[in-house]
Amino acid sequence: MPREGMTITGMTTMGMTITTTIMGIPGTSMATTIMAMRTIMITVTAMITVTITPITMTEPLPAFDMAAAEKPLAIAALQRLLAWLSPAFPVGAYSYSHGLEWAIEDGTVTTPADLQSWIADVLRHGGGRSDAILFAAAWRAARAGDQRALAEVAELAAALQPSRERHLETTAQGRAFLDTVAATWPDARLAALATAFPAGTPIAYPVAVAMAAASEGVPLRPALAAFAGGFVANLVSAGVRAIPIGQTDGQRIIAALAPMVEELARFAEGATPDDLGGAALRADIASMKHETQYTRLFRS
Amino acid sequence: MTVLPFLPEARARGEAVPRLQRSAGLASLGVRREGGQDRLETFFQSGAAKMRLPRVGAGEPLEAVLLNTAGGITGGDHLRYEVRVGAVARAIVTGQAAERIYRRSDGIATVENHLAVAERGELAWLPQETILFDRSALARRLTAEVAPDATLLMAESFVLGRAAMDETVRTAFVSETWRIRRGGRLAFADNLCFDGDPTAILEGGATARGARAFATIVLVAPDAEARLDAAREALSDGLGEGGASAWNGMLVARLIAPAGDVLRLDLVRLIEKLRGAPMPRVWHC
Repeated sequence: MPREGMTITGMTTMGMTITTTIMGIPGTSMATTIMAMRTIMITVTAMITVTITPITMTEPLPAFDMAAAEKPLAIAALQRLLAWLSPAFPVGAYSYSHGLEWAIEDGTVTTPADLQSWIADVLRHGGGRSDAILFAAAWRAARAGDQRALAEVAELAAALQPSRERHLETTAQGRAFLDTVAATWPDARLAALATAFPAGTPIAYPVAVAMAAASEGVPLRPALAAFAGGFVANLVSAGVRAIPIGQTDGQRIIAALAPMVEELARFAEGATPDDLGGAALRADIASMKHETQYTRLFRS
Repeated sequence: MTVLPFLPEARARGEAVPRLQRSAGLASLGVRREGGQDRLETFFQSGAAKMRLPRVGAGEPLEAVLLNTAGGITGGDHLRYEVRVGAVARAIVTGQAAERIYRRSDGIATVENHLAVAERGELAWLPQETILFDRSALARRLTAEVAPDATLLMAESFVLGRAAMDETVRTAFVSETWRIRRGGRLAFADNLCFDGDPTAILEGGATARGARAFATIVLVAPDAEARLDAAREALSDGLGEGGASAWNGMLVARLIAPAGDVLRLDLVRLIEKLRGAPMPRVWHC
């Protein structure tokens, strides 16, 4: 509940910041404060989107609310996830296969069933799982405005790569994401967090997306599901092009793995970096061997 | 999948023995360069963790052989090994035999290894394989602090059961965590983890396609990237499967094999190629 003197900050899609300070008026509830903010914002411009969960940089991390996680996602948050994790968002996702291109070359993945089990393994035991855990840690640090914790997760995420190409895959997309989101969805909070990651500082892709999601009030679990779903869709797209398999077969894999993505989001939401770990050894070896693959469509 | 927190150092020193602890030990070694020789600077051992220092030829790096006098580890055990290599000094640390992780009645065996290599120092951390028995549980954490111009070569390998004894490992827990800092910055991190039926987990095409033995090697050195071609050449002659990559002044390789003996052959070939020297004698006993 809001306390006297507490500052609530709302962000608009136009990058404007609206701040209201709660006065010591008896009977002022959080709801009425938000209503007041909405009224102010709506009168500013019809384009404004209300940030449903006002946050401050100094508030302690709130306890996770299971009931809230099941609520419908605010349209504003949904729009951001759809835009940021769309294949059209220019991070170059289509050019990374996470080692899959080698697995196709060496015959491990030749059918839709092979592709599905390869991606399931990577979600369960490999980069998909690690990225989700790192995403959650970065989201919490960013939401709490804890620059130190965020820097620690970012350093770990960049170091936790098994090969040159996997390091490139995550840091090139992370950097492209930060640059693009700063240019297209400007946000004062994200800009403040991003100052700790100037050009040349490695920033892993899940950390970059988590920073933006937390800054713009996108709740953690839907953001995790969207990020992991984007990872699956990208690997399916790589498989559709490189094996090749049909578009419909590819979509069937995405549908079949949807429950696993949901489960991963649920798990990662409560996980910490102590839960990191996997056994996708051949996915790692594939990314190493991909470096010397003779014919390549992908950068990883 | 949650890993129990590691025991505080005081407990590792046997100051307060936790319930069900079967054995504990700490062995610590410091090496310095003096008069053209690598000499012992500090040495401490307690409990089941011991280090033996075989005689080496003049001009050879100091060699230390790790020993677990308990003959293996199980749930509740805690071991810690520390190695510090001073400026320009050189050391090789290996193991007397494979480390056996036995079936546990309760708890997780925890092992902590801490390595530090100062300016232009060189350390090779080459323990023999860790053999996982059915219903074993191991959480091992390796931390290393490496000066920007120092060299650290490290390898750890795992084997599920003893193939010759036809042992089946139906369930095991492993959490192997590496954190290597170079010049104070985290350069490389690796978390290998599985919990459950390792045969099922490792049968997937992206996990290990049925392999029962696997290893990871990291070389942090000013010339690490220049040794990538040599590493790939050694791996291409392997009987198992392996890959190597190099970036940011590091070389990383992963190897998998159907059995421990095959992995050992491939691992020895790769390490000897990277070091340009034969393995420590205990590897051939």
